[in-house]
Amino acid sequence: MLDYDIVVVGAGPAGSAAALKAASEGKKVLVIERGPEPGSKNVSGAMIRKDYVTSVFGEDMPFERNVETIKLSLYNGNKPVNIEFHPEGLVTTGRLKFDKWLSSVSEKAGAMVIPKTTALKLNWENGIAKSLTTDRGEVSAKSFVLAEGVNSLVSMESGIKGDWTPENSVQAVKMVYSIKKGDLNTIFGFPDDNTGMSWRMIMTDPLVAGFMYTYKDSLAVGIGSPIKELVDRKIRPEKLLDDFLEMTGIAEKVKGYSLREYSAKIIPEGGFPDINVAKGNVYLCGDALGLVDPLTFDGITPAIASGIIAGEAAVYNYDKEIYRYNLMKNPEISKIAKERKLETDFMTGNKAGEYINMVSSMLEGWASGDLMGIRNTMVSNYRNLIPDLMTFVMRMR
Amino acid sequence: MRTEEKLYTLRYKKDDKSHLAIKDVNTCLECTAKYGEPQPCVSICPANVFSWQNNRIVIGYENCVECGASRIACPYENIDWNYPRFGKGIALRYA
Repeated sequence: MLDYDIVVVGAGPAGSAAALKAASEGKKVLVIERGPEPGSKNVSGAMIRKDYVTSVFGEDMPFERNVETIKLSLYNGNKPVNIEFHPEGLVTTGRLKFDKWLSSVSEKAGAMVIPKTTALKLNWENGIAKSLTTDRGEVSAKSFVLAEGVNSLVSMESGIKGDWTPENSVQAVKMVYSIKKGDLNTIFGFPDDNTGMSWRMIMTDPLVAGFMYTYKDSLAVGIGSPIKELVDRKIRPEKLLDDFLEMTGIAEKVKGYSLREYSAKIIPEGGFPDINVAKGNVYLCGDALGLVDPLTFDGITPAIASGIIAGEAAVYNYDKEIYRYNLMKNPEISKIAKERKLETDFMTGNKAGEYINMVSSMLEGWASGDLMGIRNTMVSNYRNLIPDLMTFVMRMR
Repeated sequence: MRTEEKLYTLRYKKDDKSHLAIKDVNTCLECTAKYGEPQPCVSICPANVFSWQNNRIVIGYENCVECGASRIACPYENIDWNYPRFGKGIALRYA
C-alpha cells in the first residue's frame, strides 16, 4: 500500500492550499483528484481577489480580465434599480487554468498530485482514519484533508457531516458564450482586452441571484436559486436561466454567438460553524464545510483560507476544537459564519423580496427627488430592516 | 436551445457503469403519488438525466453534469449518487 504523511482529497483551491501548506512544512503529501486534470470538474460563478490568491500561491496567477466595474441590479418586477461600484484587485478567471496553476504550485512545493482517481471511503480504527480507499486502490496516511467539494461524499460516508437539504442549498446553472475579444470590447465599451466587468442581479419570486461576467473572449452567465423553492414550485433551473437571459437583455447580447459550455453546481448555503469540521485525524475544508460567501458567491477565497488552516491542522494533528477555533479566527471564514442568520432569512422567509422592494423604492425616491418618500420608507422599516439592509448592500459588493 | 444541444458542448468520457441508481423503485411510486409529475429529481436536474417512463424513473446517466442536485432534492434519499470512476464523466474547460 502507498503510504504518505498526508492525503488530500480534491485538487481545487482548498485542496491545493492544504497541500501547499503541508508540503511546505516538509511533509510527504499526496493529492488525489477525480477529474482528468485539476479544475475539470469545477464550476464557479464569482470573481477572485488577485492579491489574496497571490499572497498564498505567488505571482503569475492566470486570469481573464480585470473587473473594473461591478453593476448590481435589483429587480422589483421587470424594471431594475442599478448600482455601480468600481472595485480594485478583482479579476475573472476560468477554473481549468486557475485550478491547474494552483495545483502546479503545490507540486513545486513537493506535493504529489494524481488525477483521474476518485476517493471512495476512509477506513477507520478507533476513531482514527488509517487509510483511504480509491477506485485505483488504497493509500494510508497519518492524517487526511477532505477538500472534496460541495458533494462531500467521503465526509458523509464517514459520518462527519450530513448531506445538504433543499432548504440550505442553491442550484446554479451557467453558460459560457464564445465572443471574440474585439466584439466583447465593443458590446461593453471596454478600452482594451484586459478590462472587464461583472454584473450581479437579484430577482424575487422565485428568488434568483444571477451573474454575468466577462472572460477574455467569452461571456459567462448564470443563475442560482434555492432548491426548495424550485422543487416546490416545479420550476426547471434551465427555464429560469432562459427567462433570466430575456429579462436582463443578455439574450439579445449573445444572439448569434455560440454556446461554448454548459455547467451546473450546487452552492451550499449552510454549514460552518453549525457542522463538524473534523473527526480524529481528518479535516474538512472549502465547499465541504459550506464555505461560500452567501451574497457574493465567492467560495474561492474561503476555500483557500480554510485549506491552509486544514493543511496546518493535518501537519500538527490538531484536535478538532483547535481546528474549529483556527477557522473561526480567520476573517474570511468568520464573516461567512456571521452571515448565516441573514442567509437563513433569505432562504426561508421572503426577506429578500422585502429588501429589494425597499432598496428599489428608496433609490427611486432619491432619484426623483422624493425625499419624503425615502424618509417614509426608512421610518416604516427602521426597526427590523435597516440594519440588515445596510449589511446586505455592503456585502453585495 | 434544447438541453441536449447544451450538453453537446461538454467534453465527456463515458463510464460503462452508471454512477447513479435508484435504491428502491417502489419509493418512486410513493413519491409520484405525493408530489405528482414532474417528480423533484426530474424537475431539478438541469441535464434531463431523469425521466418517468412506464411508472418508473429511468436514468440517462451519460447526460449527468455531476452537480448533485437530484440527490439533495429527492425527498426519500432514494438516489444512490456517486462520482464517475477513473476520471470519467464530464471534463469542463471554461467554467
